[in-house]
Amino acid sequence: MSLSVLLRTLPTLNAINSQMSSLSLLSRQPYSMYKPFVKEPIYNIDKLDKFIESGEAKKCEFVPVKAARNDHNVSVFHDELTNKFINMVMEKGHKELARNLVEAGYMKIKQLQLAKYYKATTDIERAEIELNPITIFHKALDNCKPILQLTPIKRGGSTYQVPIPITENRARFLAMKWIILESREKDRKIHFPEKFALELIDAYNNTGKVVKRKQDLHKQCENNRAYAHYRWG
Amino acid sequence: MAVLREVLIFNLKCFRGVRSYFCPSPVFQCSSLSLNNASSNVRNLDFEQSDTKKISKAMKSYMERAKVHDNFIKDQLHQYNLGKRHLANMMGKDPEFFTQKDVDEAIRYLFPSGLFDPRARPMMKHPDEIYPKRKAAEFDMNGRPFHSLFYTSKPNYYNLMHDLAVKFKELDRHEDRMISRGIRDQKPSELFLFGSDWIPKEKIESVLLEILTDAQYSNLIKTLERFTQHPYAIKEKNFVMQFRHQLAAQTEIQQVPELMKDESNRPYTTFSARRKKSTATVKVIGQGTGLLSINGKDIHYFERKQHKEQVIFPLEFCNVLGKVDVVATCEGNGFSGKVGAIRLGIAMCLRSFVDAETTERMRLAGLLSFDPRKRERKKPGQAGARKKFTWKKR
Repeated sequence: MSLSVLLRTLPTLNAINSQMSSLSLLSRQPYSMYKPFVKEPIYNIDKLDKFIESGEAKKCEFVPVKAARNDHNVSVFHDELTNKFINMVMEKGHKELARNLVEAGYMKIKQLQLAKYYKATTDIERAEIELNPITIFHKALDNCKPILQLTPIKRGGSTYQVPIPITENRARFLAMKWIILESREKDRKIHFPEKFALELIDAYNNTGKVVKRKQDLHKQCENNRAYAHYRWG
Repeated sequence: MAVLREVLIFNLKCFRGVRSYFCPSPVFQCSSLSLNNASSNVRNLDFEQSDTKKISKAMKSYMERAKVHDNFIKDQLHQYNLGKRHLANMMGKDPEFFTQKDVDEAIRYLFPSGLFDPRARPMMKHPDEIYPKRKAAEFDMNGRPFHSLFYTSKPNYYNLMHDLAVKFKELDRHEDRMISRGIRDQKPSELFLFGSDWIPKEKIESVLLEILTDAQYSNLIKTLERFTQHPYAIKEKNFVMQFRHQLAAQTEIQQVPELMKDESNRPYTTFSARRKKSTATVKVIGQGTGLLSINGKDIHYFERKQHKEQVIFPLEFCNVLGKVDVVATCEGNGFSGKVGAIRLGIAMCLRSFVDAETTERMRLAGLLSFDPRKRERKKPGQAGARKKFTWKKR
């Protein structure tokens, strides 16, 4: 029985766990250079405005703030989710290369969408075409996010694939991972940015291999719904 | 001069086991913290005249220890005063008006030390500052303890916890009374806690004269937290505030430097900042056209987009892009560190050019904080800071 299952089954253990975490709040966190009470920075101007308007900022007048990180900025092209994606594309710390690849992909999307835009004749058709690659990326990612996952759980000597709901973080991770894997599966002559652009546009329209992958996973979960109760007990 | 370092060497070994025995009348009388009532409240015990047969063994050993301790402190005080007079004579000043500040200065002058830690340098302090205060006797001649919580071994701590519980009940009763009068849904007012924090463990220990474990301290703080969340906690404001200390406002800590004028009468400020192993000196000049100079080159000194964005980040954040000139020199290891140092330098300089509100915004955005993160060291027995060697059974 895995630890997480054990924790889920035993409420008392959970209680102990939470107690320990509250205790550790008082002592310093290991490895962190910041004290535990230091606040995360809010560098996005819109978020900061909201934060100040809500009156939360007044409470933080006495709380020290962590330094903004190297990949934070207020550029109009800045996008947190894209940053996350770039970090996942990155291999061996070549961040500049990863960033160039993703941006080249965005450029390709822009070109493709603009071509469609100019091809369209009426204004209604043109209005439907999304030209902003970042919006396309966000919607495509949303379309690729699964809501269920299979996890092996041992019951009575045999292992069952049990469907369980997944967290927002895990869903995002899986969607990004699938997009990257599909983008890397290509002919020698096609490069990553082109395949990435095509995959994103497909996913934006709720078609394509990545969305298929998500649907397959959901189908499998549906097939195994009989085991769903093994999640508890 | 014997008081100097030798004083510190003498440790509390002979008293350690009995620290908690020395206790004045309960510290938390009338539920209030009373400071500095430690050894001054020693019960006046007539050592010589009392019948030795009636005195319990505990009392006897306590009296012996108290006597030794008193003599020791008296001796130390004498030596301290003597040393002070000597120092005053050496420095050519009047011994009568020689203060502790003068003593510190004299020591610094006569015993120059290159040791890094201030506590390791030579010093001469009043014995009261060096030797921790001790509790007076907690029991009478027959060995009967004064305090009902004596056998918890931490009577002051548990007395405080008990007080808290009693006050909690009082507040509950008050709430019941209010409800019976028809006043409901009273919102807890946490406003009086604003801008202050719970006092640290060491301070509580020095007041209680008892050593607390981490668990006991966190228990106390948790109880106090819960106490403040009571709808009518404001009634006990004075009691709670004894355990809180005021925090200094972050914006006040960082004092904004005045703008200076250069030859062409343009305002400017400078700041030197660090990040990782890099240092940067930044000069921001007002009434500019957005010129950037980093080690003599323009922004293309940095090849990566991310680094270029970092240089512009504070300027863009304050809407001064194209309105000020920046001259920066940086040195030290990689580009990431250099650009981090330059960013901090620019942001710090910009404080003089923008209003207080924007400064506070910059602080919340993390532009004015020093980034303390550093390369983590490699550990012995491991391949790197976190990476382990491949594990082989044999």
